[in-house]
Amino acid sequence: MKTDPLLPDYREQTPEVAARFARLVKRPVALEVSGLTKRFETPRGIVTALDDVSFSVHKRELLSVIGPSGCGKSTLVRILAGLETPSGGEVKVYGEPVSGPGPDRGMVFQGYTLFPWRTVKENVMFGPRMAGTSAFTADSEAREWIELVGLSKFENAYPHQLSGGMKQRVAIARALANQPRVLFMDEPFGALDAQTRCQMQSYLLEIWKNVDITIVFITHDLDEAVFLSDRILVLDANPGRVREVVEVPVPRPRSTEQLFDPSFLGVRKHIDNLIHPPGQEQKEAPVLRMAVADPDVV
Amino acid sequence: MTESHLFKNWFVIRRDLPPSRRLLLTCISFLLPIALWCFVSYVPWIWHPDIKIELSAEREGVTTVFTAGDHVSKGFFPEFVEAVRKDNAVVLAARAAGTSEPGAKRKNQKLLRQLAPLAVSHDWLPYTEAQNDAVLYTLWRDIATGKKVTKRPSLTPENLDVVRKNWALLAAASAEFSFAKLPDTSLLKLIPQGKPANPIYLPAPDEVIRTGIRDFTAKVPEGELTMGDRYKRSLQVIFLGFLWACLVGIPIGILCGVFDFFSKLFEPFVDFFRYMPAPTFSTLLVAILLAGDAPKIALVFIGTVFQLILVVSKTTRLLDPSLLEAAQTLGAKPRQMITHVVIPGILPNLYNDLRILLGWAWTWLVIAELIGVKSGLTEFIETQGRFRNFDRVFPVIILIGVTGFVMDQILSWLHGIFFPWAGTSSSFTRNLIRILRWPVKMISRSNPATP
Ligand SMILES: Nc1ncnc2c1ncn2[C@@H]1O[C@H](COP(=O)(O)OP(=O)(O)OP(=O)(O)O)[C@@H](O)[C@H]1O
Ligand SMILES: [Mg+2]
Repeated sequence: MKTDPLLPDYREQTPEVAARFARLVKRPVALEVSGLTKRFETPRGIVTALDDVSFSVHKRELLSVIGPSGCGKSTLVRILAGLETPSGGEVKVYGEPVSGPGPDRGMVFQGYTLFPWRTVKENVMFGPRMAGTSAFTADSEAREWIELVGLSKFENAYPHQLSGGMKQRVAIARALANQPRVLFMDEPFGALDAQTRCQMQSYLLEIWKNVDITIVFITHDLDEAVFLSDRILVLDANPGRVREVVEVPVPRPRSTEQLFDPSFLGVRKHIDNLIHPPGQEQKEAPVLRMAVADPDVV
Repeated sequence: MTESHLFKNWFVIRRDLPPSRRLLLTCISFLLPIALWCFVSYVPWIWHPDIKIELSAEREGVTTVFTAGDHVSKGFFPEFVEAVRKDNAVVLAARAAGTSEPGAKRKNQKLLRQLAPLAVSHDWLPYTEAQNDAVLYTLWRDIATGKKVTKRPSLTPENLDVVRKNWALLAAASAEFSFAKLPDTSLLKLIPQGKPANPIYLPAPDEVIRTGIRDFTAKVPEGELTMGDRYKRSLQVIFLGFLWACLVGIPIGILCGVFDFFSKLFEPFVDFFRYMPAPTFSTLLVAILLAGDAPKIALVFIGTVFQLILVVSKTTRLLDPSLLEAAQTLGAKPRQMITHVVIPGILPNLYNDLRILLGWAWTWLVIAELIGVKSGLTEFIETQGRFRNFDRVFPVIILIGVTGFVMDQILSWLHGIFFPWAGTSSSFTRNLIRILRWPVKMISRSNPATP
């Protein structure tokens, strides 16, 4: 594959990074997806959303799934969480096949799915309470999780009193309070403004560092994917197929300064090419009949 | 600045007006119909197609007798007045000719009582003493000599003249009432008096208020119902009917909204049944449940419950499904999803549904009270309506309206208190909640066990 001559090859890894990946693949497999297929029957025929998708995620890995809109990312993550049944294939979490939603797999949705009638703390307590933990224990645990996401001041606020970023932090705390083995996140920061999103990404890395958890992160944002992940699963659209699994050569710990590192830009460019193949660039926009020519506006 | 904006920005598409303007419009929305009512009632030349008789007279050979308070049409009243004048002219002519009339004494005693309605309206005589001829006799004297002046209504000069002429005749015979000493020639009749009035079905506001106060504060004989009793009975019927509808309808509605099984099992029939008007079951209900309030409560129940099931199931289906999915990924089991997600999630909307359905229940109340043995406020409306006492009917109708409206307003305000998280509460209710919660907060804060 041809790469940009000015940027380093995305496959070039420093010895530390290479060693890290070597250690990573030796970890137990947290999530194993094999031959996953999903077809929807619609009035206009059968839509194949996912076609023979296979990959695996190791313990404590942070894997991003990226792809063009409509390629089946949400469908994939919903199947992983057990909210949807696949038409074919299998999902295993630590060797156990998934047959439905369960507290061992947490999920953070793109929309804010907080329970509006529960305060922040009560939202975070939801999972443990459902599992039968006493109110007292759940309460003190919830406080810790809320502190972890930095919302102690708001523990008694209702969701409608929070900003979008704060809501998503509560949603993360709520999912983590269940102590799931894998956490799925479907474009969790998609609805946030660029600045808040950047902050949230750093928050997420911080949390991931402190909590024993494996994360599958869905996004359509290249920078987000590269910044967060160990590996990136690139999906093709129509039907959704695995295009490539890319190892991110950017060393950890990550920081926002790395956004302009050559290794960062190199792998970013490569994934960009995968999603938007060169030569398939957008055609020139048609000139409107009413357009006004202005030399300063080009 | 504000002045120049006084007439601006009243009509902005889909934008809320400022609170002061909203309050103003709310007041106007009530004042406008009341003002219209007053306008029609009190401005004489607006409508007033009738004459309300204040002073009446009997005519020979005419069977229809009008008494004070009756309405006659504007066209007929002058005819009536003319006829009475003609009668007086005949009397005068007979007197001039010197012909004596048989039975004149008895007739004159009746004519003396023409002043009775006036005496009662001026509180010169209690209603029960309206036939006390001795007092009425002195009344003729007092009015003729100007010792007593009539005000409600005040006698026309023509009628004062009649009173004086009659008194001259009476005084010549005796200063005190004695049947034997009544003149042998006929006295003159008072000429009918009346004032323009609206039809009987539109009493003026002050009449409605006055009769309303009288009816609601009246002491009734032992064994009869006061208005308060009737009101209580009506409220009882509506609340019991509605309560039963809620107890049965809400669980079924929620089950239908949650499980397709129940939805397909119940909803088609419910949908069919609600098109059968509840009142058509009234005879059946009376046959099954016999007299008393049971068939009435059952009617309110039938009228409400089917609608309620459909509305509740729809509200349940409208709950954001992603909340259910979130709960599932958090490990909630099916039963927990209903108790911890569906029910709390739909409560604010359910509450509003119930508010609307309670309004429905009110409409069934009137029909319910008519079936079997008539009862409650409706019975009063029915009876008084039959007697055309519309000034007694209106206060009760207004009472029902005000009750429904006030209840709905209170419930709407409570919505903010019950569901502070819905974000619809006003700043006032938020502060109230904060005050109410303060002790709880203080206790939980002083709890040493929390880390
Ligand atoms: N319930 C459904 N019924 C029918 N078709 C569906 C359904 N859900 C998804 N699809 C189809 O499956 C495909 C993948 O949808 P999906 O939502 O997974 O895409 P996505 O990658 O998440 O897109 P986006 O980035 O816009 O969120 C789409 O073509 C969509 O039309
Ligand atoms: Mg999606």
